[in-house]
Amino acid sequence: MCDHCLKHGTAGKWYLNAKFYSDELAEELDLKEFLLEQYKTFEAMQVRKFGGFSAVGMGYKRQMPIIGRIVKHTAEKMLHSKKPSRNPFKAEGHIGQVVPLDDAIAILETCIPENSLIMKYCMCRYMHKGEKEACCINFGIMSEIIDKLPRFIPEPEDSKFRLTKEEAIEKFTEFNKKGYIGTIWYGAYPYINNLCACQTPMCAGFRPRTEFGIKSIFKAEYVVENNPNNCQGCKRCITMCQFGAIEFDDKTKRAVIDQSKCYGCGNCLLVCRFEALNLVTRKEIPALAGDY
Amino acid sequence: MGKIKIKIDYSICGDGNKIDPRDCTICLKICEPAIFLLHPSLKFQKEDDPYDPKIWRVTPVYPSLCTLCMKCVEQCPENAIRIRN
Ligand code: SF4
Ligand code: SF4
Ligand code: SF4
Ligand code: SF4
Ligand code: SF4
Repeated sequence: MCDHCLKHGTAGKWYLNAKFYSDELAEELDLKEFLLEQYKTFEAMQVRKFGGFSAVGMGYKRQMPIIGRIVKHTAEKMLHSKKPSRNPFKAEGHIGQVVPLDDAIAILETCIPENSLIMKYCMCRYMHKGEKEACCINFGIMSEIIDKLPRFIPEPEDSKFRLTKEEAIEKFTEFNKKGYIGTIWYGAYPYINNLCACQTPMCAGFRPRTEFGIKSIFKAEYVVENNPNNCQGCKRCITMCQFGAIEFDDKTKRAVIDQSKCYGCGNCLLVCRFEALNLVTRKEIPALAGDY
Repeated sequence: MGKIKIKIDYSICGDGNKIDPRDCTICLKICEPAIFLLHPSLKFQKEDDPYDPKIWRVTPVYPSLCTLCMKCVEQCPENAIRIRN
């Protein structure tokens, strides 16, 4: 991750620092009005124009040699911005990272302000698939903001709106088991308020990166390693991976990991019954050094 | 390869006209690469309820990812989608 993240947080993990979750920080940055404004028309963010560009037709824009580079540069500058966000209609300082289950649980257990956990309908699944699925865990001042915006509040049969820590951990674990990718987000930098359970191709956090080569999200602090001696070639892990990082080797009848494609979500581990997979620290793999 | 152009007839679907896309969502659900975006219509933002917008439309936001399967064109109950390659 970036300098900031290495200096703060526990063991280089920016998201394990309760300071970035605190109401005081949100207040200091004056984010209440800002986030309310942003979420009022959140689904329209991709059609709004900034600096002459919107995300509409992004694939074709990126194919143009000069414009393509300008668009990438502009988008990354905006997403990675560390300046105080001024315009709620821009995804300024809205950058995230993949988190596996253990880190997500650590976040929920140690970083979240008291009594502020909520579950809201996922925006991405709704705006890109028309599906209402309650799987976005929010906290801090987001609980007040979403409370004012009825379309994000789950119907009682889908989920409770306010969650206890235990409920949030239980839900998040369920999502990982379904193959949803855990992600943690600044919104806006350096305030953290979203623990998401994402699916491609709908997720607007992953799509710029996976389809258009724009770094909109960072890979996890981890990467998967396999132990071919334990692998039984059952292929369960392969169906879990949303990034095509695991292939079946016909010769050895074993799963093979392409670590350069692995985002470190850890979902494959959860379905392996033979302890053939485990997460290792990304930094410790020389070939992946700095590959976030 | 030429650019794919996808057009939705907003005089039929969205912008407060005959069909509210939130009640239909067929094209959104059927599209495998999920290239459509359902969003509050910015054109009507001033008149709309800011906390609970009622006027929505669908924008084909990522036409480059379209596989030309034509399912959205075939399944749109209002025949409101056109695709040109
Ligand atoms: S980032 Fe993930 S969980 Fe959050 S709204 Fe998007 S897809 Fe849903
Ligand atoms: S291989 Fe990597 S990206 Fe794929 S499911 Fe496993 S941890 Fe996630
Ligand atoms: S789930 Fe485990 S045993 Fe099955 S193929 Fe993957 S690594 Fe091998
Ligand atoms: S033709 Fe197929 S891929 Fe293209 S927009 Fe329609 S449903 Fe999606
Ligand atoms: S399928 Fe047709 S009517 Fe239904 S939301 Fe899409 S464009 Fe509108």
